[in-house]
Amino acid sequence: MKKNNQKFANNLRRFRFENNEISQQELANKVGVSRLTIHSIEKGKFVPSTYLALKIAHFFNVNVEKIFYLSNE
Amino acid sequence: MNKYKDMKTLIKYATITLGFISSLFFVFNFFLFAKLHPKMIRFEDISGTEENLLLIVGIGLVVFLTFYLLSLWRIANYLKNAKEIKSYNIILLIAGILSLLFVFSDWALLTDIHRQHKYGFDQPEWLLLYPIMIFQFITVIVSVFFHLFSTTKKNQLKNIEKDSNIFQIAQYVGITCGVLGLALSSLGFLYSRAWSLTIHSVMGPIILLTPYILVVIYWFVIKLQERDRVFYDEKQILDIGKSAFLTLLTSVIFMISLFITNFSNLNGIVSILWLPLYLFFVLFIFSSANLYYTKRS
Repeated sequence: MKKNNQKFANNLRRFRFENNEISQQELANKVGVSRLTIHSIEKGKFVPSTYLALKIAHFFNVNVEKIFYLSNE
Repeated sequence: MNKYKDMKTLIKYATITLGFISSLFFVFNFFLFAKLHPKMIRFEDISGTEENLLLIVGIGLVVFLTFYLLSLWRIANYLKNAKEIKSYNIILLIAGILSLLFVFSDWALLTDIHRQHKYGFDQPEWLLLYPIMIFQFITVIVSVFFHLFSTTKKNQLKNIEKDSNIFQIAQYVGITCGVLGLALSSLGFLYSRAWSLTIHSVMGPIILLTPYILVVIYWFVIKLQERDRVFYDEKQILDIGKSAFLTLLTSVIFMISLFITNFSNLNGIVSILWLPLYLFFVLFIFSSANLYYTKRS
């Protein structure tokens, strides 16, 4: 059986900068989490719930896969 | 809004003023103790005037207590919206907590010294009193500088909807109280004869847990002010869950080890110490683990 090496990754930082360079704190306020949670997601240390991922995608007005995806690295 | 701002300004100036008054009380105490110490260790009588001056020392303790409480409240309030919690902020916070707790030991040491002089016993407490008071004095000076110059709006974030700073501060305070409590409780094994159930195993933990309880109350008030009233976000819940599991695991091992190492003397000092040791161990591990998982990001 082939080993699954796919990792959860995201473009959150890029999306923040492309959207008026919104700060982590501002995004955190909009989606109802702490700044450290946004920081952890960007660093890849924390995998958000589907609910939070959808809220973030909804905030940027894009599909969730545009921000969160599986990487083969 | 203006009333809230006025109140904050009033507390700032009250804290700074009390800081200056506390410094004067410390200087007064050092001069008075320098005069009384040689007399008391030679068991010479203290005059009526000197007894009255000791009352001023007592008033000073109330002033110190009020200053440290206000100072800690202002530091916590400042850190709540800080862009970044710097190490010197944490050192000042911990020094403030220690100094606050030391007010109780000042009172206990002075009472002991007075009683032992009265009954003609040696007073080794002087050796503890001076370093503690010097530490408290330095904390007052540094805190006054902090309140005068460091609490500017430059390092502050606006509109934080979901707190993470006070959550971290609660962990720092928990670690400090946990370590102090473990150290105090462990002394019971060395000085088991002098150990008292009421003072060392009931009053000690109550006093040592007070800063942690205060910061948790402060955190609770902040949570009530948040719009969504959800106490933790999903990462904080995950971190707390991992910390709780680690705490459960280590506390079981700790308590079994305590039981085994004291098996031959379970009616001894361990019958008094097990509760404070358990409380402070749990507080220390839970706070350390929480801080580790929060900071790891």
